[in-house]
Amino acid sequence: MIKDILRTPSFLWTAAVLLALLLVPFFAGRFYVYILAVVFVTGLLAMSLNLLVGHGGAYQFHHCVFYGVGAYTAGLILAKTSLPAWLGLCAGPLAAALTGLVIGAFCVRLNKLYFGMLQISLGSLIWIVALRWYDLTNGDDGIHGIPMPELLSGSVNAYYFLLIIVSACLALMYLILKSPFGATLRAVRDNPQRCEAVGIDVRRHQLLAIVIGTFFAGVAGVLFVVLEGSVFPDMLFWVLSLEIFIMCLLGGWFTFFGPMLGAAIMVALRTFVGSYTDYWTLILGVVLILLIFFLPEGIMGVNFRSWQRRRERRRSADDVR
Amino acid sequence: MLQVEHLQKSFSDFKAVDGADLRVGQGDLVAVIGPNGAGKTTLFNLITGHLQPDKGRILFKGEDISHLPAHQVCRKGIARSFQIANIFPRLTVFRNVQVSVLSQKNLSRTMFRPARRMVVEETRQILDRVGLNDQQLALAGSLSHGDKRILEIAIALGNEPELLILDEPTAGMSPDETAATMALVQRLAREQGLTILFCEHDMDVVFNVATSIMVMQQGRTILQATPEEVRQNITVQEAYLGGA
Amino acid sequence: METSHTLAALTSQLLVGLSRAMILFIVSSGLSFILGVLRVPNVAHGSLYMIGAFAAHTIATAFDGSVAAFWLAMFCAPLIVAGISLIAERLLFCHLYEREHLMLLLFTFALMLILGDLTKMTWGADYRSIVAPPFLQGSIPVLGTAFPRYNLFLLLVGPLVAVGLWLISAKTKFGKIARAAAVDREMVGAIGINVSWVFAFAFVLGCLLAGLGGALVSPTISITLGMDHSIIIEAFLIVTIGGLGNIWGAMVGSLIFGITQSVGVMVLPQFAIVFPYLAVVVILTLKPTGLLKSVW
Repeated sequence: MIKDILRTPSFLWTAAVLLALLLVPFFAGRFYVYILAVVFVTGLLAMSLNLLVGHGGAYQFHHCVFYGVGAYTAGLILAKTSLPAWLGLCAGPLAAALTGLVIGAFCVRLNKLYFGMLQISLGSLIWIVALRWYDLTNGDDGIHGIPMPELLSGSVNAYYFLLIIVSACLALMYLILKSPFGATLRAVRDNPQRCEAVGIDVRRHQLLAIVIGTFFAGVAGVLFVVLEGSVFPDMLFWVLSLEIFIMCLLGGWFTFFGPMLGAAIMVALRTFVGSYTDYWTLILGVVLILLIFFLPEGIMGVNFRSWQRRRERRRSADDVR
Repeated sequence: MLQVEHLQKSFSDFKAVDGADLRVGQGDLVAVIGPNGAGKTTLFNLITGHLQPDKGRILFKGEDISHLPAHQVCRKGIARSFQIANIFPRLTVFRNVQVSVLSQKNLSRTMFRPARRMVVEETRQILDRVGLNDQQLALAGSLSHGDKRILEIAIALGNEPELLILDEPTAGMSPDETAATMALVQRLAREQGLTILFCEHDMDVVFNVATSIMVMQQGRTILQATPEEVRQNITVQEAYLGGA
Repeated sequence: METSHTLAALTSQLLVGLSRAMILFIVSSGLSFILGVLRVPNVAHGSLYMIGAFAAHTIATAFDGSVAAFWLAMFCAPLIVAGISLIAERLLFCHLYEREHLMLLLFTFALMLILGDLTKMTWGADYRSIVAPPFLQGSIPVLGTAFPRYNLFLLLVGPLVAVGLWLISAKTKFGKIARAAAVDREMVGAIGINVSWVFAFAFVLGCLLAGLGGALVSPTISITLGMDHSIIIEAFLIVTIGGLGNIWGAMVGSLIFGITQSVGVMVLPQFAIVFPYLAVVVILTLKPTGLLKSVW
């Protein structure tokens, strides 16, 4: 498999982009390094959502809960206990996946809309706890000044750490999506009834997908803490969950890198447009409407169909998808 | 092989199945016939575990499978195709069948090996057998209606079933396609020792192919017998066949 | 002496909770209705509530805060909100009915973003408040405690809205068609009814209720820009525990919300807001599909 990947143009593009990203801190100022790091975190979060929604067909309406849980777990351990830092960083994604498992077990019994509504409800509960349990979480203010180990502090160190972790996560996600599990997941997305009829335990599959997706969301949350040194209750707020949806939509649901691209565009827009106007939210709303009407497959989705056809023609009969 | 005893199923006030009996022996080709609304599809849904019966039993090879969920029924050796083409429209033809084979071999949850390279031979064989080999890379949603029905059957074959249940396999097909499909079904039954249970509206198909016919009306089994006996049975003639 | 004090306090709190529940009901019944007919959670519902409050403020203060202006505001603000929703629906929303539900949801989210900023543009970020007419100010003694008259007014309006909504849903032609369309849209379309207009009416009616809730709540709280975010989550929770699309479920859910919050205020004031959420957890654990049957 590795040899096949190395041959494809996709890999060469990816390698080129990776190389460019490695070199950025040598050429660009601190601001741009920071923005790119933000893109990494947001992109990972969007990719983890797409695993569940684009590939799994689940109505994951409150994904950022797991992002927030990962961040708060890491933040709390690092700020309020004297446990070693790496423990806090690892505990984040595990806590997120555990939360995902619990909430998922509730929701997966139900069909689409109920799934979404229930997730919003249960997720909001966690949000309200973070908001109100002032003694633990500092409530609305959030926790700031979270201490980071030497190795990770400073914007350049954080940048490289994030780049490495996010690349590793994306590689893992790629493997998973190309595996039989991924293929079955997409089948479950398209036709759960048929899957039952061929012997697939749909619920178990969905639950497994949820645990994986929420794990990666937790990783994103931890990375946020590494980058910013803070956590906020807003990370658990429902509006953020929907913003991540927009990123996936913008970039393209059914492609691999789509959400990452969407995240990059959103972060860029927000940073640069947002500095000119107070009404960034309005612009975002208009962009979303334009997307819904004119570009529902996202930016990468438009090319995806023609690229898919070209790829089919190029491949020999022996090499099947 | 399959035995259905006094099965009953109601939806709110409506009794969809009200005392259905069926006997399918190994190697049989059993057809279930009856007017629209007789409960044929409901019966199939009950057998395959998509619905749970209110009363009665379903025995498969001596084992009571009445209340098993669909994916477990499949594991016991029963596969089915659906009345309305129930394929994976956004996946390729190859992938449609591959998913089924992967499930059968318990590989659905493998995460770190590429799906592309797995169970390729088995999938190819099935596609070969049903004649869809040249359309492997096409998106299933873009197939013709007749080909979609054949893909349905191919997906079911991926489960290496002993009993294959086909819900109106030739619905909406032209006479040529119908003949070809039923020839395929018979050939599969012969070659792989499959037992087949199907329901149909096309009486030519039924009487040409079936070894045993079960007649349903208003959710109840009226009679199950050989085609000759059914043809001669007066009640059935009056109720359904119109004197055929 | 002591017991009558606490009894009075208890009654007072409960009645406050009930009045609050009435506002919640009016808003979430609209959400539930839209959810029932269109099968889409209207994320912009909170924004429309907020606009209702701001619009009521503008109208009520336009004529030097006279009594007539207040009632005019109560009447017109919901209509303004309904008008806004009609424009959004006819211009944009209706073209999406054939698309998958996720797209509809995202559209309502876009609407929320846009309306939120439009509100900021039109009214700015200041806190506002309006004053109820003298007739509704002050309090009357109820069961040994001074109960605000306005809250009593709300306790009357709430059930009125409920009954009105029930009449529309169960007794009018529109209501019956709407309920049929909720269950089987294709069938309704097949028998010649313009489903698009049914959806339009349902959407506008639901949004009107949101605007009404916003207008009615305006004398009791400060009108600010964050109103949309806070109410929408509560409305969602209420609709979920009540049963999706079920109007009476919205009533039950709102009552639970209002009462548990009152209980919370008396038991643990700092965490009063958590009590309704706890109730939600308990209910959803036992009955994930909500207390009452959902419309479909």
